Amino acid sequence: MSILESREAGGAPSPRSFAIAHQRPKNSFLGCSRITDYEVLGKLGEGTFGEVHRARSKKTGALVALKKIIMHNEKDGFPITALREIKLLKLLSHKNILRLEDMAVEHPVRSSDKRKRPIMYMVTPYMDHDLSGLLDNPSVHFTEPQIKCYMLQLLEGLKYLHENHILHRDMKAANLLINNKGILQIADFGLARHYEGEVPKPGRGGGEGRRDYTSLVVTRWYRPPELLMHLKRYTTAIDMWGVGCVFGEMLTGKPILAGDSDLHQLEIIFDLCGTPTDENMPGWRSLPGAETLQPRPRPGNLAQRFREYGSGAVSLLRELLKLDWRSRVNAIDALQHPYFRTAPYPAKPSDLPSFEESHELDRRKFHDRRAALPPAPKGGTVGRGPHDGPNASFGNDSFSGRNGVNGSRYPRNSRGPEERLPAWHRDRGLPPRPPPPADSDHGDGYRDSRGGRPRGGGGVRQDVDTYIPSYDRDAPPRRDDRPRRRDDRDDRRPDWDRRRDYDDHGRNSRTRSRSRSPIRDRDRERDRDRERDRDVYRR
Amino acid sequence: MSHMTNPLATPDRLFQRRSFGALPLELQDTIFFATQCLTQAAGILLQLPQSVTAQANVLLARYWLVEPLMAHEFSDVSAATLYLTAKCSPHPRSPRDLSNVYAYLLSASSTFFSPPTAPNNNNNNNPSAYYVSETAYQAFHTRLLALEGRVLYALSFDTHVALPHPLAVTYLQALEFLHVPKETIGGKAVQYLNAALLSPQMLYLTSQPNTLAVAAIYNAARDVGAKMPECEWWEVFDVEREELGFLVVGMRSVEGWGRKLREDMKAMGVERGMIMRKHVEAELSRRGLGVRIGNKVDAEEEAARMMDEKMEAMEVAG
Repeated sequence: MSILESREAGGAPSPRSFAIAHQRPKNSFLGCSRITDYEVLGKLGEGTFGEVHRARSKKTGALVALKKIIMHNEKDGFPITALREIKLLKLLSHKNILRLEDMAVEHPVRSSDKRKRPIMYMVTPYMDHDLSGLLDNPSVHFTEPQIKCYMLQLLEGLKYLHENHILHRDMKAANLLINNKGILQIADFGLARHYEGEVPKPGRGGGEGRRDYTSLVVTRWYRPPELLMHLKRYTTAIDMWGVGCVFGEMLTGKPILAGDSDLHQLEIIFDLCGTPTDENMPGWRSLPGAETLQPRPRPGNLAQRFREYGSGAVSLLRELLKLDWRSRVNAIDALQHPYFRTAPYPAKPSDLPSFEESHELDRRKFHDRRAALPPAPKGGTVGRGPHDGPNASFGNDSFSGRNGVNGSRYPRNSRGPEERLPAWHRDRGLPPRPPPPADSDHGDGYRDSRGGRPRGGGGVRQDVDTYIPSYDRDAPPRRDDRPRRRDDRDDRRPDWDRRRDYDDHGRNSRTRSRSRSPIRDRDRERDRDRERDRDVYRR
Repeated sequence: MSHMTNPLATPDRLFQRRSFGALPLELQDTIFFATQCLTQAAGILLQLPQSVTAQANVLLARYWLVEPLMAHEFSDVSAATLYLTAKCSPHPRSPRDLSNVYAYLLSASSTFFSPPTAPNNNNNNNPSAYYVSETAYQAFHTRLLALEGRVLYALSFDTHVALPHPLAVTYLQALEFLHVPKETIGGKAVQYLNAALLSPQMLYLTSQPNTLAVAAIYNAARDVGAKMPECEWWEVFDVEREELGFLVVGMRSVEGWGRKLREDMKAMGVERGMIMRKHVEAELSRRGLGVRIGNKVDAEEEAARMMDEKMEAMEVAG
């Protein structure tokens, strides 16, 4: 508004007078912008912290994405995950890393408002798609030069992160944003942290880890075998495994390793890459999660599965998906891989086609009901596995009674585009559980009070799902009680899948509740009561 | 990557702050010094590493460059910056711990600015003096979180602080510790760096870490009588002679400053313990300056009084 007015009033102002008119008042330096500096254009999706909106900056006219930071846990003040993400993003500057341009604050309309805490938004450039959404778009087919182009950009970005001592820890297609100029950027640093080991050196793989971190990171489908076996002293190689998964996903158009549980994830990894031996994964037997593993020996079918994409692709994929994290290729070496030096050569970003279908948000929303994934930027998906059984059950138990939309009688697939599952549950269900600190290995005393309960209620089970830090504590292990129906299973559609799981779950909880542990349910009930009590007390 | 550097205060900004602040300069300095000392004391009691507490000191200085000193109670600002820094570090501390530590430091039993050896110290450690009631904790907690948001907002969420301490050690290694025992010169240099955190000259906001490190080494070497290279060795570390000279003097003057500011506090009637807003307000009206700030102080006083009353009422009720 203001920019329009000033233009009208002054005709065409000289650059100098424009600059003077728009400079910051000298004596009122303000750290953040106000939300009124942006014109909000509509909701894009929902991340861990909260909604993501598209907006236009009134100062520059540029399209931006506003990522709302939800105060999960008022007890601890500003969420540490958000603080960490902001801190990291402010330190980074690379063309393949999503840039944090600004922080915007929204003050409550009425200052007398009871909940008068202001809402914070992270402001990043608007990106047209995320890779996951783009691959879901049936009208989009990646060519080999295009895949090579994206891969190069992804590896450049990751190389930059790693040489600056940063672990991303949530590498996945949904966190890779792409705009219509062909630029790929790595987003969502909600799980990222400073890496204390040695940075990767050419020809030396990921190197050795120097200290322990939490192994409860990375979305399951993109989680490397060493994390699934609970290696804590991990390295930058965990991100490289994710690159391999993303690469495979770009080639085939769907996630290549879509496991239902941590155990199943390991099984399908072994199917693809072969069983671990002392040669291909030295020391794997001594990993805490490998003690009970008795994999059926098999050679791995990577070469057959990806034969049609050529030997170069197979060779790079093999390097990225090495079981041995020490010799898994690092970003520096992957960039030198012959795959990128053989015809067809990588395209230039500027030569890539722009995808109309994907950026026409509304059309996708209403006409392609399967494409429920929002286009970029989806923002944080930290803290959720792609399957999200736990979240679903969490929400299901709590509010299906209140909101009929949620019952399993509601027809599958026809849920409105706004209602993406996980965040949706969190928004309207019970007060969300705060994600535990991503690096709980620091022994941060006071937070442990929450995390002290056995995770997943599984207790004795070795193969209990760990998913990702957050909302999984109350999850019943789903793999056993969920009828698997191969016929309508469709790995291509993580979101759709998620919804189905969730619906299954709704049914299970009514008709098959005997099969679930009643003790666990009671525990959950009690915990929730306790949670509520605490809340009441706090107010 | 800006791991090694800090955002610095512009001369404009510093000038504004010093010249147009609502408070007389020496009062500004006293408050700054006392609050930085309080942060350090709290950091020790919370068993935080100095790397965390020092970052809190720097954030506090940055915050007060932007926001008026009298807007909040000084100890609360100290607590909020420390809480925020600890939260971002590998050593988070709970609001409960902070509440306990600050309650103790502000109580009559605390040895803060009142060492047991000092004369007329009645030396009674009375635990009931720093007992934190539930209502008091809730009030502290609310203030802490509100101020945390305030600080983040003022700093535009830029919580990164590069400290000169590790650089100083690296530089000393490069200089082969000037052929004196490592502990002596290393310890001395770190002492200078820590003292500089308290300096009302806000050295950490005017100089980059490498300059601070070199100045600390220079001072340490002079103190222990180590022989420095003949040449202009600081240039190797990207430090200019003029800035080095300024910092050397600035660092050496902290001790004197500190003594004088302690005297100033005593003169204001703060014999022991932490200086509070009420002391500053009393001092202002004693000097007849209360009028100059006019309504602002009055409004704040009024608000503080109302809050006090409310607190009392709540405590009586609870």
